[in-house]
Amino acid sequence: MIVSRPTRHLVLLVAMFLFTAAAQAEPVTVTDDGGREVQLDQPAERIVSLAPHITEVLFAVGAGHKLVGATQHSDFPPEAQALPRVGGYSRIDMERVVQLDPDLVIAWRSGNSQSQIEHLRELGFSVYVSEPRSFDGVASSMRRMARLAGTEARGDQAVRAFEETIETLRQDYADREPVRLFYQVWEQPLMTVNDDHLISEAIRLCGGVNVFGHLDRLVPRMDREAVIEADPEVIIGGGMGEDRPDWVIAWGQWEHMTAVQRDNLFFIPPSLLQRHTPRIAEGTRLMCEELERARLRRAD
Amino acid sequence: MTRSFLLAAAVLLPASLLAILIALAFGSVAIAPGDLLAVVLGEGSRLHDTLVLELRLPRALAAFAAGGLLGLAGALMQVLLRNPLADPYVLGLSGGASVGALLAMLAGLSMFSISLAAFAGALLSTVIVFGLAHGTGSWTPTRLLLTGVVVAAGWGAMISFLLAVSPTAELPGMLYWLMGDVSHARNPYPAWILLIVVVLLALPLGRTLNVLARGPMQAAALGVAVRPVEWSIYVAAALITATAVMQVGAVGFVGLIVPHMLRLIFGNDQRVILPASALGGGILLTLADTLARTIIAPEQLPVGVITAMLGVPVFLFLLYRSR
Amino acid sequence: MPHTPPSAAAASQPHDAPGLGARSVHQKPGPDTLLATHDLVIDIPGRPPGSPLELTVDPGQCWGILGPNGAGKSTLLQTLAGLRAARAGTIKVKGQRIATLPRAELARRLGLVFQTHHDGFPATVLETALIGRHPYLRPWDIETSEDYARARAALAEMDLSDLEGRMVDTLSGGERQRLAIATVLTQDPSLLLLDEPTSQLDLHHQVAVLNRVQSIVAQENRAAVLVLHDVNLAARYCDHLLLLFPDGQACWGPTATMLVPSALERLYNQRLSVGEVDGLPVFLPRNE
Repeated sequence: MIVSRPTRHLVLLVAMFLFTAAAQAEPVTVTDDGGREVQLDQPAERIVSLAPHITEVLFAVGAGHKLVGATQHSDFPPEAQALPRVGGYSRIDMERVVQLDPDLVIAWRSGNSQSQIEHLRELGFSVYVSEPRSFDGVASSMRRMARLAGTEARGDQAVRAFEETIETLRQDYADREPVRLFYQVWEQPLMTVNDDHLISEAIRLCGGVNVFGHLDRLVPRMDREAVIEADPEVIIGGGMGEDRPDWVIAWGQWEHMTAVQRDNLFFIPPSLLQRHTPRIAEGTRLMCEELERARLRRAD
Repeated sequence: MTRSFLLAAAVLLPASLLAILIALAFGSVAIAPGDLLAVVLGEGSRLHDTLVLELRLPRALAAFAAGGLLGLAGALMQVLLRNPLADPYVLGLSGGASVGALLAMLAGLSMFSISLAAFAGALLSTVIVFGLAHGTGSWTPTRLLLTGVVVAAGWGAMISFLLAVSPTAELPGMLYWLMGDVSHARNPYPAWILLIVVVLLALPLGRTLNVLARGPMQAAALGVAVRPVEWSIYVAAALITATAVMQVGAVGFVGLIVPHMLRLIFGNDQRVILPASALGGGILLTLADTLARTIIAPEQLPVGVITAMLGVPVFLFLLYRSR
Repeated sequence: MPHTPPSAAAASQPHDAPGLGARSVHQKPGPDTLLATHDLVIDIPGRPPGSPLELTVDPGQCWGILGPNGAGKSTLLQTLAGLRAARAGTIKVKGQRIATLPRAELARRLGLVFQTHHDGFPATVLETALIGRHPYLRPWDIETSEDYARARAALAEMDLSDLEGRMVDTLSGGERQRLAIATVLTQDPSLLLLDEPTSQLDLHHQVAVLNRVQSIVAQENRAAVLVLHDVNLAARYCDHLLLLFPDGQACWGPTATMLVPSALERLYNQRLSVGEVDGLPVFLPRNE
């Protein structure tokens, strides 16, 4: 092929331009929890979060200032409450998302509507789908979100702190004497979790044994008789808010239960244990302490 | 007949356009009329183009098609059962479609099979209501409603059961779908095609339906092949209900309110009422969905909430009047 | 058609039909015969076959079907109209087996007025009469002004012109019955099958309806079959009678031969007094 001189110059110029542009803003590629590659030409500057725990993780990895919108109930850290809202996580207000013109949308696979996520992709948005299911998952989510936001330094710091806390707890408690416990998610209907749940990972780490860990469903509905028959040593309640619900104390009416006799009816704020964020390290620490208290009461 | 047909067309066609325009004009992001005009003329900003053409328009079209199908299904069932209280939601067709689709989802089938299963569920529901309420040939409102309510309750229990045994990860996807909600509708065109086809088929059948509304014996005496006609309509009603349910979930009461209101205005000629119900149902659901999108924006309501708030009082009023 | 007064012999002499007091007259169907049945047994569950019917309805005839409640009069009428399956036998309309006739064609040949009318669905009086044109219109046809004219004429004949815009469910029982007859007049079939067409009508309208039926039958190629409860109206307006007994037995023939007091007494299980007005017999229940 014969290329004229002026054209050759042009090609050279374009190539040089492309090279320098690439050097200025490096593209970022990560794989999301849906197995998709998410590629950004440069770290995200305008992020919309589609779930409260995602908002929280973004703040934790130092990308909070890049958030331009979040779903309702994104309440932690307090700064998150001032973010423009884009509807509830189950029904996204697509128009608000479009209006905010984000360069990255972070979605929650088991909470958002699949068709709305696809719709966002069709509209040309970069969508990262998040679905952490374990402590490792939380750490890896933090890392990947930090990469997408270009805040790796802060992110690594946060991940290290998180992993260190977890590791310390593991060393301190995982080999302690087992404590059989019943974790109550909710009262009506009476619900617990099985061993696949993130909460059960916290339980194991503290040397606890979930009495209903063997059940098939992630969040099984329980019969009260089964709980009484299982006779756990500890009952830990979750619920919705930051205050201990009355139904944790209400177990007191079953006086012959071990947990009741030893007064091992505990409460851990669900925001510390049920959200897939680094704060779960704090929730786990609380749980380990409660289980340790229960071990001490054995001596009585 | 010709006069009321033209009158209905003159009122409802512009109203349909207006409803879609309203759906395009209103949303949680305010767009000035001038900007809207610019979008229509192809000169809108990128943001406005996306909002109007890629978000609002497909959604308005989906709502319109689904509403039209539900209005049509209601009108057809009312003629067939000779009862203005008949409605695919009240009589459990929507429930049957939901159960069919849920079962298919649980079995991990393809989208097409899910649609097929929804159709099968709606058809089964139809057969049950038809078979049981038909009895000796004449329906009393009580008998029909009892059958429908019991069948609908049965489907409701089935749905609860299926949700209880489904893997937790599948639940959100299923739940969206049970609520009447346009926000998950993606491709409105199959529903539009079905809507147009059924209206075109129903038009020449309209006079036969007028005769059928006088009861099967009377219709047979006037030369109507009652059974084939009845069965075609049942299958059609099940098909369009299932399509609507696949599009927007179990939206209630559109099929109840719309034909009733239209009969009050345009009389009871099915050649007018059937196409009018399609347009009227489309208008109602498009407007109801616009309301659902904007009333507490940025929070979004499922449109089924709006139609139920309109539909329940109308239903009770009709029931009171029918005695 | 003139009515022959019953001969003294017919009235007094017992006939040889088993226990009935009247004898069926079998008539062979001719080329003009509008309706003919052969070995017809109507299907009433749990009832013995009784007498298979060999009826021949020719143009110009007006048949009356008499019988007590539950004898199967309406079932017979609906069977003749092809709306119910017979247990046995055949029905021919204008020489063609009814089962082989397309429904619309059948509806142009015979029209049926039902005893009860359930109009659960709202419609106006005019719309209701207009559906009588249905058998004549193709699916995409719209009623022409001529169809409207026929419906309006039928309404006028039944004194319903003033009510044409009214909703059917606001009509009285008698008005509704006249509307049903107006509908079949709009339908204009060769053979009219009327199930108790006068049961809810006042005297004037009873006579008006039956006179109209008589005038239709007098036209070319027309006939009517009426289920009646009033023996005296049947005696005046019908030239042929079919007596239908609750056990399935039946006998039929010209009115004169059928109006046998003993047969009628057995038919209704009621003692009767017989008188004569204007040369026609009058039957009144005797109270004893």
